Amino acid sequence: MRPFRFIAFAVVRAWQGFWRNAMMSLAATSTVVLMLVLLSGLLIVLAGLDSGLHYIESKVGVTARLQDSLPQPQLDTLLADIRALPGVSRADYISPDDALNRLKEFYQEQGQTLDLGGAPISLYASVEISLTDPNFAESVQSALGERPEVERITTRQVDYAKLLSIVGYVRTVGFIALALVGLTVLFMIVNMIRIAVYSRSGEIEIMRLVGASDSFIRWPFILEGILCGVIGAVVTIILVAVAWEPIKPIMVRVFQMPTAVSTDFLAVLSAVILGVGLGVGAVGSWISVRANLSSAT
Amino acid sequence: MTDTLQRPYVARPEAVDPVISMVDVGMTYPNGKVALVDVNVSIPEGDFVFLVGPSGAGKSTFIRLLIREQLPTTGRVVVAGRDLSTMRRGQVPSLRRRIGIVFQDFRLLPAKTVYENVAFALEVTGATNGEIRRRVPRLLNLVGLHEHDDHLPAQLSGGEQQRTAIARALVHDPAMLIADEPTGNLDPVTSWDLIQLLIQINAMGTTVLMATHNQEIVNAMRRRVLALEHGTLVRDESSAAYEREY
Ligand SMILES: Nc1ncnc2c1ncn2[C@@H]1O[C@H](COP(=O)(O)OP(=O)(O)OP(=O)(O)O)[C@@H](O)[C@H]1O
Ligand SMILES: [Mg+2]
Repeated sequence: MRPFRFIAFAVVRAWQGFWRNAMMSLAATSTVVLMLVLLSGLLIVLAGLDSGLHYIESKVGVTARLQDSLPQPQLDTLLADIRALPGVSRADYISPDDALNRLKEFYQEQGQTLDLGGAPISLYASVEISLTDPNFAESVQSALGERPEVERITTRQVDYAKLLSIVGYVRTVGFIALALVGLTVLFMIVNMIRIAVYSRSGEIEIMRLVGASDSFIRWPFILEGILCGVIGAVVTIILVAVAWEPIKPIMVRVFQMPTAVSTDFLAVLSAVILGVGLGVGAVGSWISVRANLSSAT
Repeated sequence: MTDTLQRPYVARPEAVDPVISMVDVGMTYPNGKVALVDVNVSIPEGDFVFLVGPSGAGKSTFIRLLIREQLPTTGRVVVAGRDLSTMRRGQVPSLRRRIGIVFQDFRLLPAKTVYENVAFALEVTGATNGEIRRRVPRLLNLVGLHEHDDHLPAQLSGGEQQRTAIARALVHDPAMLIADEPTGNLDPVTSWDLIQLLIQINAMGTTVLMATHNQEIVNAMRRRVLALEHGTLVRDESSAAYEREY
């Protein structure tokens, strides 16, 4: 067999077949687009949540507010004890002066000046503790709770746990919804190819009689399904690329996603869209060809 | 089953390798209908054979076995040196290219022209455009349709449609041409034209097997006749008539 003749034949027939029943094909393609847009949205939100998670993970730590004016030796012991706790990667002492400077800096960054109206203010001294893993927050917290030097303990562990459960929820619900839409898409493609096979039944009969091989008979239909998936994927990629400009700053701001990652992300997302579109088209048409084009005789 | 003494009337010398041979072939459809019983036939290359018998005798079944549209329930069918029962499915297309087949209802593609109908058979078997351009006009010439190559089947007479089907059947230069009641839808004059064409094709070396109800033609031609009745081969006679003459 001449491979080029075969490929040319199959591609041309698939293309003709796609447009022969244009309404049906475009309906199937629309469901592919719907599914892929949904998939893209889900992946974008998940990627955002994920990078938000990383951000918080890096920020999760425990802050211990200390009693006023602790003597230096007591402070040193406390710091040493904290650094010895399991899961603690760093512990920094922040004096009331440091805290005030930070506050001023923060105001400066916002373009304002901290105006205390000349009143003396004194901030708390504290210890900022970084953890090797957010999950150590609890044990560190309870260890600190037993220290008389510590007045109050704050942590972002709750935020982290909340976000983690949101991510899990979004992922589960998203993929269930996607699976349902995916089934609809498969159904559409299977049906589209079934009708294509039916409308070509006369030709198929002749092909068998004159000795066309199975690949000549089947591949045009499989390619027709793939074509449907690929066209749907290309449309989706264009949609996402157009929508990406307004989405990007949101990703960076809301989810703390680094700009560099967000640009790469679009390329990966496009590849995923194309792969899934092609895959669903191929699977749908394959199922349909197996069911509707008996290989007997 | 009919009397076994009635077959075969003439034993044929097996000088040439048979292009078709059936040995103890029986065929029962899945619904239990017995279509062929103990058929033994050997057709040498270049033969011209009529297959006759009343409706339901098993003629079309006989033909379906030859193109491996169906497998026999018992016995062996060998076509062009290949045992069809042991043949792998992937080899069926190459068998089909060795056999040209036409039917009573022509089976042309209505949306394609005469030229395209013939070209289609080459296209779907991987022929190049060059081969198509070379072969199709030659075949249309042979069947006398070169001036109608851009007509759609609906614009042709029955005889012309059947000629188109014959051109398509010959597209791979097959060893044999099998026709299942090719004149069934044609008037007597047109039928004769068609027979002339089959004779011409046979004269060029192609084995021809034709199932028919057309007594007049069979009687006039005096060729080999295979007669089926209720699935049994009751007569295998050379230079014979449609009905038994003794
Ligand atoms: N697909 C099938 N399933 C079951 N029985 C069948 C099938 N095809 C044919 N038969 C039966 O097998 C027998 C032989 O049929 P076949 O079509 O071979 O006869 P035939 O000689 O070609 O008849 P005709 O001259 O009417 O075309 C008939 O009794 C028919 O009813
Ligand atoms: Mg018949």
